[in-house]
Amino acid sequence: MGIRVDPNVYSVILSGLQTNAQQQDQALEQVSSGQKLNSLSDNPAAAASLVNLRMQSSSDTQYLQNITSLTGSMNVADSALTSVVTALTTAQSLGVEGANGTVNTQNRQALAQQVQGIQQEILGLANTTYNGQYLFSGTKTTTEPYVADAASPSGVTYNGDNNSNSVDISEGQAMPINLPGSQLFSNAITGVFQSLQDLYTALNTNGDISGATTEVQNALNYVSAQQTFYGNSVDRLNNAKTFLTQEQTQLTEAEGSTLDVDMATAVTNLTQAETTQQALVEAGAKISQTDLFDYLSSS
Amino acid sequence: MSSLFGTMSVALQAMLAQQSALEVVANNVANANTPGYSREVAVMEESPPILSGNTMVGTGVTMSSVESVRDDILNLRIQQETSQQSSLNSYVNSMNQVEALFNETQGTGLQTYLSNFFNSFQSLATNPTSSSLRQSVLTAGQDLAGAFSQTSQNLATIQQGLDQSVVQTVQQVNQLTAQVAKLNQQIQDVSNSGDNPGSLEDQRDEDLSKLSNLIDTAVVYSNDGTVSVTTTNGALLVAGNQSDALTTQINCSTGMHGVFAQGKDITSSITGGELQGYISARDDSIPSAQSSLDNLAAGLISAVNKQQNNGYDLNGSSGVDFFTPFTSSTPGFNAGAAATMAVALTNPDEVAASSDGSLGDNGNATALADLQNQPIVSGQTAGDYYSNLIDQVGNDVSNATSEQEAVGLVLQQLTNQQASISGVSLDEEATNLVMYQRAYEASARVISVVDELNQASIDMFTPS
Repeated sequence: MGIRVDPNVYSVILSGLQTNAQQQDQALEQVSSGQKLNSLSDNPAAAASLVNLRMQSSSDTQYLQNITSLTGSMNVADSALTSVVTALTTAQSLGVEGANGTVNTQNRQALAQQVQGIQQEILGLANTTYNGQYLFSGTKTTTEPYVADAASPSGVTYNGDNNSNSVDISEGQAMPINLPGSQLFSNAITGVFQSLQDLYTALNTNGDISGATTEVQNALNYVSAQQTFYGNSVDRLNNAKTFLTQEQTQLTEAEGSTLDVDMATAVTNLTQAETTQQALVEAGAKISQTDLFDYLSSS
Repeated sequence: MSSLFGTMSVALQAMLAQQSALEVVANNVANANTPGYSREVAVMEESPPILSGNTMVGTGVTMSSVESVRDDILNLRIQQETSQQSSLNSYVNSMNQVEALFNETQGTGLQTYLSNFFNSFQSLATNPTSSSLRQSVLTAGQDLAGAFSQTSQNLATIQQGLDQSVVQTVQQVNQLTAQVAKLNQQIQDVSNSGDNPGSLEDQRDEDLSKLSNLIDTAVVYSNDGTVSVTTTNGALLVAGNQSDALTTQINCSTGMHGVFAQGKDITSSITGGELQGYISARDDSIPSAQSSLDNLAAGLISAVNKQQNNGYDLNGSSGVDFFTPFTSSTPGFNAGAAATMAVALTNPDEVAASSDGSLGDNGNATALADLQNQPIVSGQTAGDYYSNLIDQVGNDVSNATSEQEAVGLVLQQLTNQQASISGVSLDEEATNLVMYQRAYEASARVISVVDELNQASIDMFTPS
């Protein structure tokens, strides 16, 4: 007597087909979505790391946006200061010209007029804005930093503050983004406005023109030196940008390797599942359709 | 001394016996595809011999009984595994809904909202007086709060749905146990009258198997043919012809239905069946996800409010709470923090970007943005805490899914084994059919021969 087996072979085929359908389903989902992770339970650890990767990637995108906007404002400030330096250079040469003993009063006063024009030009430059924010008013970015004030010895009043803002340009790396006007233009020793006002007065009154010219020269040197802050900052921003872009590429790759399915593998899996299904169905069809009853009835 | 008529009666009895056996074959063939049917065999028995003169002479055959071919131990194992499988099925189905709420693989979870919220402060730091950036902060905060409260409410809805499933499943359990008790009675009656209760037993097996789909059961077969059913932890479900209905009752502390057997709360001691799957998702996994969500919300609310209070708004006033403050009703528990999360600020000017009160200062906006990297929830950053929550939910489902596959394989083997014992084989039935048919024909032939002999005897006295 042989061992009795499950007389219903179809139940085996059926459960084989069901298991296969699941595999086929999964492979199809992977191929159609292009993702090997389609729900958290596909790989919980990978899904969790995906959260961290995306948080970081999203922060980096934000830092890059900050950098773009800061680079804009830094460049505007930098070129404003370049113009200030150029204007001061002009003022300084006017002073040298005025200090020459051969210049008559009329010419000196004409020079004084030009110095006054330069004063106004620099006043405008000191009030430069970017995106509606004043660049040289410290943190009081909505207040116009300098207004002409005849009562003031320097000819202007500073309405900004002495502070500066810092912005994060990558995780844990904050960068000061501005120098207050008080530091750039109204410094007590080498004040831009004060030196111009002094030169103007000296030219008008034939006072200590060469002393005032030296003051302008000092102010020019000082502003030039301060200007490197902006140049350096733009360099720093560019470096940070390069770093963040690289990091983002790496994060995107990491995200991709976590999430994206290897299409070749997925398609192979799908094909295999299809082949298996085909084989099962054929096996099912080939299972003897006859049993002993067929042979008995023929007699 | 035997007689021709005696021989005839032996043959007649044989015909009747073979006929009954054919009936058994017919019944088997008829039920070849009936779920839960165990094949039956006709038990043939030699009739007691009689003393004829000095020799014992056989008196033929009787069909003494019909036996169902079944392995009760195997059936029990199948019921246990079925119970386990149903539990996992209902758990996985329930948790798939939960999983979908946090589906970070499709980018539809909370991560985007968290990132956008912190990024909006970073952005504001570059231009702290910009009203559009301030509005963006407010919007990002509202979106974040909305996402938290929506997720929390969805979790609660799923939990409520499961609670309903628990109540309905208990009702189904009660229907089945009543049915089993009734069958117990019928089986006992049939057995007492000496008949085969096989088909009733099959029906009861089918009910028991359905029952083990719903709840973990321990079945004890008694000699009188009845079964008694308890949960594996001993709560009585069926004894003889009596069933004990389970009841459900709202648990005041959780607001969910508890399951009671004879007045005793057995909710947490149910270890199998759909019921356990529902209860496990309802009472463990979902509350755990909900409480993580609440902790995260409470951590965010308190950290953001605190930092906001440290700063100054666009009018130079001290910052007021950004989110509606959450006060826990039970210290140490943050239940409800996520569900009720909302932005308290209404005016974008109130975002406290300044750290010193001056208009264009951005110190506090940066500080608010930097909360992203601060340990604000249970010593972890919001991102790390959330990522752990994701890991937890994913693992809940994936562990159950792996177990589901393992149990499925075991069950498949057990079912095959059961079918190899109890399944109807048409080849076998055909063989039996021929066998009984031939025996029937042979007995009929015996009768016709005896009839001829009788005829011969009678003809002896007929005048020729």
